[in-house]
Amino acid sequence: MHDEQLILYYYDDGLSDREKQQIEAALKDDVDLAARYERLRRRLAEFNESEVPPAPAHVVQRWHDSIDRVARMESNRLSKPGNPFSFMSFFWGAAITAALAIGIGIGVYLSGDSTVIPVLNETVADTESYREASIPAAFTRSLQVHLRDSQSEIARLPLDSDADRAHLMMEIIEQNRLFERAAERKNSPNFARVLRAFEPILVRLAAEDIAPEDVEALRAQLAFELNVMLTKLAREASEEPHTI
Amino acid sequence: MRNAGAPTQADFHEAISKRSDRWFAACLKITRSPELAEDAVQDALLSAWDKRHQFGHSARLETWIHRIAVNAALQLLRKNRPGVFEPLDVDVADDSTTPEGARSIEELGGEFSAAAARLSEIERVCFVLKHLEQWRLQEIAEELNVKVDTVKQAIFRGVRKLRVSMVDLRSQDYA
Repeated sequence: MHDEQLILYYYDDGLSDREKQQIEAALKDDVDLAARYERLRRRLAEFNESEVPPAPAHVVQRWHDSIDRVARMESNRLSKPGNPFSFMSFFWGAAITAALAIGIGIGVYLSGDSTVIPVLNETVADTESYREASIPAAFTRSLQVHLRDSQSEIARLPLDSDADRAHLMMEIIEQNRLFERAAERKNSPNFARVLRAFEPILVRLAAEDIAPEDVEALRAQLAFELNVMLTKLAREASEEPHTI
Repeated sequence: MRNAGAPTQADFHEAISKRSDRWFAACLKITRSPELAEDAVQDALLSAWDKRHQFGHSARLETWIHRIAVNAALQLLRKNRPGVFEPLDVDVADDSTTPEGARSIEELGGEFSAAAARLSEIERVCFVLKHLEQWRLQEIAEELNVKVDTVKQAIFRGVRKLRVSMVDLRSQDYA
């Protein structure tokens, strides 16, 4: 009898009832086979889950944070007035709110007061400054390119195909994670935190079962958050001391 | 679970505190990449939160998230390495990891992960899903989009190589 049959017998999977009975009978009658099966059983048991490496503490914290963030986002969305629900009023309401918020945001920036930042909810834009001493200008520039690309892709987001939208959002999530990790490696927790804050919105937009009105609302929110971040990055870059 | 409704934010935190090490370990064994494993758990948590109203309470929340995390790990692996589950006629070990990455995986994953480096991707994934995750052969075949016979062969080869690898590793330790 081959080891392969004994392996399937051990897992109790992939053998017919007749094959199992044949193996059982052989194990009873053949001492050498029984010993071979016992060795195999002991060896396979050694591979059981004996070692559970702990996930790094900062990663576990990030998972906790992501649940808090997504719960807060949902609670903000649900607490907005507007019921009974009307798609058109919701759509125009979201668009007008976003436009107003962006306008007020730009006004606040121009006035130089960065402590009052209007936001649709406290997800991305609640960071006063992303500037960190060690962050290289090249990183900031590539991040700006990434955010601008994301902004234009989100503006062109396909609304008629859930699969296309999900695919595009997953691409953006992947890019976002690369920048988040790069920020962490460059010892820039503020950048990493802000990039992480985008993720629940992006993941929600990637869901294929999302209602069209939710897509519009999330897209407006994302456009606003991206705009805030790009504005801040541009302003902080212009305030950097220039060196030759 | 404290109530029969959808799991709450507190339930999720409790599940993360209690079981996220196990989710991470399972995803690490599948992906052999700490970063992909981390992303898989993150994706699983957000997806589970999104679908928490569908949670049936027939399993525990931790177990439900565990299954979603394993699926997320498989998806990420497939996305990052297209064709990864196509069966190979030749015997190929997993060469996808850099020496530095391999060291960190061994530190994270211990003896099994070190031995599993000698398996091809499909052998490792089939073995992990069958032996550690206790999936049925049919389920594995459907998830990986391969034939049941391919899964069986991958498991047989995986077990054979692991038996040799574990003996080798132990003899190195004692040398």
